[in-house]
Amino acid sequence: MMKQKKPLTKVQYLKKFSRAVRWRLPPQESEEAIADYRELVFQPERDEEKLVEELGTPAQAAHLITDVKTYRRWLAVFAVLAFGLFLQTKWLWTARGVTFNGARVWWNPVLVMVIGLPLSLYWFRKHGQENGPLSKRLLITLAVVAVVGCGILCRLWQLSGVSVFDQYPGGSYGFERQVYWLNTAMMCAGVLMAFAGVTGLVLAKCRDRRWLALYILCLTVGAILGFIIFVIHAMDMTFGAPELMRTYVFSHILPVGVIGLIGTGVALC
Amino acid sequence: MLKKDLLELCLLQLLAGGDKYGYEVLTPLRTAFPDTQESAIYALLRGLGKSGCTQWYMAPGGGGPDRKYYKLTPAGRGRLEELRRDWRNMRDAIASFGVE
Repeated sequence: MMKQKKPLTKVQYLKKFSRAVRWRLPPQESEEAIADYRELVFQPERDEEKLVEELGTPAQAAHLITDVKTYRRWLAVFAVLAFGLFLQTKWLWTARGVTFNGARVWWNPVLVMVIGLPLSLYWFRKHGQENGPLSKRLLITLAVVAVVGCGILCRLWQLSGVSVFDQYPGGSYGFERQVYWLNTAMMCAGVLMAFAGVTGLVLAKCRDRRWLALYILCLTVGAILGFIIFVIHAMDMTFGAPELMRTYVFSHILPVGVIGLIGTGVALC
Repeated sequence: MLKKDLLELCLLQLLAGGDKYGYEVLTPLRTAFPDTQESAIYALLRGLGKSGCTQWYMAPGGGGPDRKYYKLTPAGRGRLEELRRDWRNMRDAIASFGVE
């Protein structure tokens, strides 16, 4: 025998409707619709059992008041921003990029950031809305992302400091093992950044536009990690002067990091 | 005239009789058009507000919290007249075929 689905309570209905409508509509319009539905749903005469029958499912109700043109535009922006995170992760795992006009392949992840950062800031500044005080969860998540990024950079700094053969008893083999572990850590961190970045985007749309800061920070860390991975893969491990890589990498990722942090700060304001 | 226009006509006609809050508009329309969900009627009401046919204001409801009342604007009255004309024409056209 089929198990009958439990009917939605008024609170559950409004919660589901709010989620759907915040995703589809601009902030002011969605708040207006939620207020209207709160009034409609919580009418004392309203029978909770017949809620879906009378009003339709929350998704249907949200769909009916969606301005298709505006919603499609948002979906297109979201797709571009999320695809950027996906590309960064893919490059972190494959270390195979695309070359444009002879430009070095390790700029690929940074190029994603060059597109994603201004586009997201522009969109959410224009169409987003602040909602209440700054979330503690957002600050904690930002701190975690920053710690992961800084931790990997510190390890890279250590690894690229002293001559390979002096530093590791195993000679070049020992060094390669360390690079392998760093590489693996960066690949895993890349996946984490992609998930956190998409979460930041969704929450920026549905809750508070300041969650965009999480997306921008993840994009920045993703770009930096991608840059490093490409450089490591292009490096000649038998060459005994890793400090050259340190100079090269850190002088290039510093401006990327600074721009990313400025973007994160702007998103938080 | 589509069903949507008929719903719009009834909705504007209801508001022509005096300002009403959401539930007060939706319930009689749902009773008259039982196969139409209230969300669809609400979407219509919202669309009329966007096109300037209706306006809303907050006013105290019967002992409870403030309610959102909808009222007809001059543009809404014009739209109502237009829909009434269409309805009469359609009714006459159908009657000419002997449909009672």
